[in-house]
Amino acid sequence: MACHEDIYNGIAKSPHDVVETDAKRGFEGRVCEACHGPGQKHAESGDPTLIRNPANLNAAAVDKICLTCHLNQPTQVGRLESSHARNQVACTACHKVHESQPLVVRKAEATNKLCASCHLNEWAQFQRPFHHRVPEGDMNCVDCHNPHGSIRPAMQQSFAANEPGCFKCHGDKRGPFTFEHAPVRFEGCQACHEPHGSANPRMLIRADVRFVCLECHANLPSAPVKVAGVVPPAFHDLRSPVFQNCTVCHQKIHGSYVDRNLLK
Amino acid sequence: MKAILAIWVMFIWVMLPLLAQQPAAPPAPTLPAAPATTTSAPATTPAATPAAAQATPAPTAPAAAATTPAKPTAPAAAAATSDTASPVPSTEPALSGWVDLGYRWGSGVGGSLDTYRSIINLGSGPKFLGTDFTLADPKHRWFDTIQVRADTWGDEPSSSVHVEAKKSGVYDFNADYRDFAYFNFLPSYADPLLGQGIVLDEQSFDTRRKIAALSLDIRPGHWWSPYFGWDHDSSSGTGASVFVSDSNDYPVPNTLSDSTDLYRGGVRFEKSHFHVTLEEGGTSFKSDQSLYQNPGSANYGNFSSPIFGQTLDLTSLLANYGIGGSSAYSKVLLTANPTSWLDIYGQFLYSQPNSNVNYQQTDAGNLYLQSQILFYSSEQQLSSAAAEQPHTTGSLGAEIRPFKRVRIVESWLTDRLHDAGSAATTQALLLAGASVPLSSLIDSTLVSNYSQEAVDVFFEASQKLTLRGSYRYVWGDALYAFLPPQGLASSAQEQLRQNIGIGSATYHPTQKISLTGEVEGASSSGVYFRTSLYDYQKVRAQVHYQPLQSLSVSADFTLLNNQNPLAGTNYDYSSHQESLSFYWSPGGGKIFDIQGSYSRADLLSNIGFLDPGTLSPQVSRYLDNSHTATALVDLTWPHSKRFTPKLAAGGSFFISSGSMPTSYYQPEAKLWLPLSGHMTWFTEWRYYGYGEAFNLYEGFRTHLVTTGVRFTR
Repeated sequence: MACHEDIYNGIAKSPHDVVETDAKRGFEGRVCEACHGPGQKHAESGDPTLIRNPANLNAAAVDKICLTCHLNQPTQVGRLESSHARNQVACTACHKVHESQPLVVRKAEATNKLCASCHLNEWAQFQRPFHHRVPEGDMNCVDCHNPHGSIRPAMQQSFAANEPGCFKCHGDKRGPFTFEHAPVRFEGCQACHEPHGSANPRMLIRADVRFVCLECHANLPSAPVKVAGVVPPAFHDLRSPVFQNCTVCHQKIHGSYVDRNLLK
Repeated sequence: MKAILAIWVMFIWVMLPLLAQQPAAPPAPTLPAAPATTTSAPATTPAATPAAAQATPAPTAPAAAATTPAKPTAPAAAAATSDTASPVPSTEPALSGWVDLGYRWGSGVGGSLDTYRSIINLGSGPKFLGTDFTLADPKHRWFDTIQVRADTWGDEPSSSVHVEAKKSGVYDFNADYRDFAYFNFLPSYADPLLGQGIVLDEQSFDTRRKIAALSLDIRPGHWWSPYFGWDHDSSSGTGASVFVSDSNDYPVPNTLSDSTDLYRGGVRFEKSHFHVTLEEGGTSFKSDQSLYQNPGSANYGNFSSPIFGQTLDLTSLLANYGIGGSSAYSKVLLTANPTSWLDIYGQFLYSQPNSNVNYQQTDAGNLYLQSQILFYSSEQQLSSAAAEQPHTTGSLGAEIRPFKRVRIVESWLTDRLHDAGSAATTQALLLAGASVPLSSLIDSTLVSNYSQEAVDVFFEASQKLTLRGSYRYVWGDALYAFLPPQGLASSAQEQLRQNIGIGSATYHPTQKISLTGEVEGASSSGVYFRTSLYDYQKVRAQVHYQPLQSLSVSADFTLLNNQNPLAGTNYDYSSHQESLSFYWSPGGGKIFDIQGSYSRADLLSNIGFLDPGTLSPQVSRYLDNSHTATALVDLTWPHSKRFTPKLAAGGSFFISSGSMPTSYYQPEAKLWLPLSGHMTWFTEWRYYGYGEAFNLYEGFRTHLVTTGVRFTR
C-alpha cells in the first residue's frame, strides 16, 4: 500500500473495504491479496512479475477471481445466457474495483456512457429522431437490459418474473388480452418496433404502417412451411388513404379485450 | 398513495426493531458479497471533497447527454467524479453535493410545433435543473448515507428523483420516481383526411406517464436477506382515436387512464457454495379509456361517399372500457458450485396474469350494417370479457471445467404460455320503431411452447486468445384459435425449428488492444412468421485500440442477412452497420479533450405480398441508408488557476435516405464559469433541426438557451 496509495485509498472507501477489515473473510489487513494472490515477494522486490495482475489475464480468469466471492448471488443467475460472459467481457470491464464508491455507476448518463463505449452501433441508433429517452439521460440501458444476463433475448429485463421488461413502463400493453396479436407474444415488441431508435414514427421498423402489417398479412401462404397471419383480414383498397395505416381502424394492435379484429 | 404509505409503514415497522439493536459491528457475512457500505472507514481515509463535485461540469438540460459520444476508455471515471463519494469521516460536513437552478429561453419553433413536441418537447421558463447531494451521518445512527439525485423539474418532458438510503448491514432503501410527458401528433402517421385538407393524427395522444419504484433490502450482505419492493406505472391524458362502426370509422377524442402496481417480497440465501432466492409477487391493473362525442354535431368519418344515396354520420358517442386485472407470480433462482469444476444455474418462474373487462358503448347517427344491408339510428353494445394467461418458464444450466483450458457451458430453457380468453357481446341496433338484437360469444386461445438447448465450448488457446464454438437448437409450437370459427383465419398452428451455430474469438494481445469477432449462422425448418429469422447469418466484430495513453480508438461492425426462400415468402433482408469512435485527451485533458464517433448503417428488405384490394403481386421494399456522427470538444481555460472556465461544444447529426429520408441535427455548446468556490454560472445553447423529405410540413427548427447557477457545498 505504500507504493499504491491511491489504489489502497480507493479500496478503503469502497465496499471491498470489508475484506480488509473483516477477519472472517480471510484477508484481514491484506485486501490486495484477495484478488492479486500472495504479494509478499512483489512487495519486497517491487517486481511486477511476482504478483498476479488481472489486467494481464483473459476475461475468464478475471471473472474467476470475482466469482470466487460473487458467484452465489442473484445477479449471477442469468450468467449462462449472458452475451457478455459468452463474449469474454470481464466483470472489470464495467466494475472499477480500485476506485472508490460506486463500484458500478448509478447515474443514467454514466451508465449509458459506459455501455456506449463498446456498443457504438446501438448508441448511434439512439441519435435517430424517434428513440427511447436514453441519450437525454432520462432512461438508462439497464432499465431494459440486464448486463449480467437474463433468460430473455438480448439480455432484456423481465417484469413480474417472466414477462417482457417493456411492461414495466408500458403496462397498458401487457394484457392478457382476450384477443391477442400473436407476434407480440411470440416475437416481442421488436417484431414491429426498433427500440433503440428509428427514423420512423413510433419507432416502427417500416416507414409506412401498412407495410409493417402486410409483410406478414400477405395473403400468400408459404409452402411447405406454414406461417401465421398470412390471410388478410379484408379486401381493403390500399389506394384509399384510410387503408394506408392499418392501425387507424385496427387500433388495438397490441391486443384487444373485446374485438377479435382488434378494432376496439 | 396508499401503496406508498403502506411501504413506508412496512419500512418503519421492520426497521425499528433492527435499529433498536444497534450492533456496534454488524455480524459479518461469510462472503464479501453484497456491496454494502462500510461503516468502519479509517479516520485517515481521505475525504471526498466537495471540490470534486464542484469540478464536474453540470448537465444543464435534460438533453445534456443527447449528443455526447462515449469516452471509450474512461467512462466509469467520469461517473466516479460526478457521483459524490461516501461514506465520509466524522470531520467532514454532513451534507455535500450540488443543486442547479436556471431558466430556459426558446426562440420559438419554426415549422411544425406538433412534431417538435413529439420529439423534443423542451419548453421555456424557470427550471430546477437538477441536484445530487449526499447526507452522511458520522455517527451512523439511522443511516450511513442518504443520496438524492433529481433531474429537470418544471414542466419538462421528463423529470426524475432518486433516493438511496443505507445503513451497512441493516438496510438498503431505494426510491425512484420518473414523470414523462408523452406527446405524439404526426399527421403523416395517421391522417386519412389529409387529402381533404384536414390535418389530424387520428392516433395522437397527450399524456403523462409516471413511474415509481421502491425497494427495501434488509440485512444486506448477510447470508439471508429479506427484501420488499413496489413498482408503479400509470398514464393519464387525452388523445384522438377512432370509433369503428361497421361501414365507417370516425375520429373522436378520447381520454386515457391506466395504472399498474407490482408488489413483491422475497428472501435471499447466500452461502459459500450455493444461493437461493425465493420471491412472491403480484400486480394489479386498471384502465379506463373512453371515447366520446358530444351530441349536437355530425361527424362524417373517414368515408364520405354516400351508401345507397345516404350519407353516414355519427352524432353522439360514449364508449367506456372498464378494464381490471391482477396477477400473482413466483420466482425461484438458484446458483451453486458443488465442486471446483462445476457451477450450476437455475431459474423457475411462474406468472398468471388475468384481466376482465366491461365495455359499454352507446352511439347514434346515421349508421349502416353492411352484412344485413341495414341502416340504423342508434346502437348499444355491452361486452363482458375475461382472459387468463398462465406462463411458466424454467432454465437450468451448468458450467463445467473438465480441463484447465476448456470450459463447457450447457443450458436448457423452456417457456410455456397459454392465453385463454372469452368475450360475450350483446348489441341492439335501433331503427325507426324497431330493435335488432345481435349477440356473440367468442372464445380465443393462444398457446406458445418454446424450448432451447445450447452448448458452448470455450477453449483458452493462450492467455491472449479465447475461442468459442456453440450450437443451439430451438424448437417450439404455437397455436392460435377462435371458437366458434369465423372468417378465413379462425385457427393457425405453426412450428419452430432452428439449428444455430456460433463461432467466436477474443484476442487480447496486449492491454492496449482487444479484438472480438463472432459469426452466427442458422438454418430453419419452421418459423412462426414470414419475417422471422429463417436462414440467417450474423457477424459482429469489435476492436479497441489504445495507441497512446491519451488516445483510444474503437470500432464496431454488425451484419445480418436473413433469407426465407420458401415459395410464397421470398424474404430477403440484409443490414450492416459500422461505427468508429475515438477519444483524445492530451495531457490528461488538462487543456482540452475531444471525442467523436461516426456510424453508417444500411438496410435493405424485400418481401412480396398480394395487394388485398386487387390481389396483384406487390413487393414491400424498405431501404434505409444513414449516416450518424457525434462530436464533443471540452476546453479548459489554460491560464486560470483558481476558477477555471470550461467550454464544451459539439453535437450530433443523423441523415438518412431511402424509404424515409430524414435529417436531424443537434449542435450544442456549453460554458461553465466558476464565480466562487461554491457557485458556478453556466449557460448552454442548443439547436434542433428536423426534416423529412416526403413530409416537409413536419419539419421544425428551434434554438434553446439555458442559463443557471450551480450551488455546491
